[in-house]
Amino acid sequence: MYRGREGQWAWVLHRLSGLAILAYLLVHVISISLFMFGEQAYMAVHHTYELPIFSLGLIAVTAGVVYHSLNGLRIIVMDFTGMGVLYQRQMFWGVIALTLLATAYTSFVVIGRLLGGEA
Amino acid sequence: MIRARTFTDARQQAHSNAELNWWIFMRISGLILVFLVLGHIYMTFIQVSEADATYIAVVNKLQQPAWKFYDWTILALSLLHGVNGARYSIEDYVRSRPNRAWVKTIFYTISGVIFTLGSIGLFSI
Repeated sequence: MYRGREGQWAWVLHRLSGLAILAYLLVHVISISLFMFGEQAYMAVHHTYELPIFSLGLIAVTAGVVYHSLNGLRIIVMDFTGMGVLYQRQMFWGVIALTLLATAYTSFVVIGRLLGGEA
Repeated sequence: MIRARTFTDARQQAHSNAELNWWIFMRISGLILVFLVLGHIYMTFIQVSEADATYIAVVNKLQQPAWKFYDWTILALSLLHGVNGARYSIEDYVRSRPNRAWVKTIFYTISGVIFTLGSIGLFSI
């Protein structure tokens, strides 16, 4: 079931997306917490987030969170139901399909907004 | 850490009650975070522009107790979930005992400081 197959890829992607989300979360908390030091401190950093590259980065963060969430649900199904392990490969491809779909939707909305001129 | 494929495996493999409890915690917090975090991303990034998160917007939002509670729950649960997940990775890849102790000490300290910063921020307004 495991080595070199869907199960292993699901595991690798789960770990990488988890660590990436944690790194983002820590920076996100610091950045938002800057409001404690007043409007100037907060906006000094937040103005740079209006650059398009940060919106594209957030699409990547969203994709990572969607994958990690859905694969987490797949893991829960595997852990607590008898049928879960039997269908883990099919569920992995379902997770990938839903992640791609959600990422396409996010990109459509966000890139559309970028092209429309509202950052 | 536990390498289990089912809850029965996990119970057999757990060296301690704490380890089994963390294993259970990851599943329960994960289930809750799916809704909280995807909701947060949808409301603050997809529904509105990221550039809308101005100083005034953030302060206005966080003044409301409901949002304070929502955001603090995400902060606490996701940090516990994330730090425990990173602990699994550290235990897998940092093989030498003294190095592992240092890496964990530094990592837990940074995470603790950031959790404190976020909590003070949320409850200071």
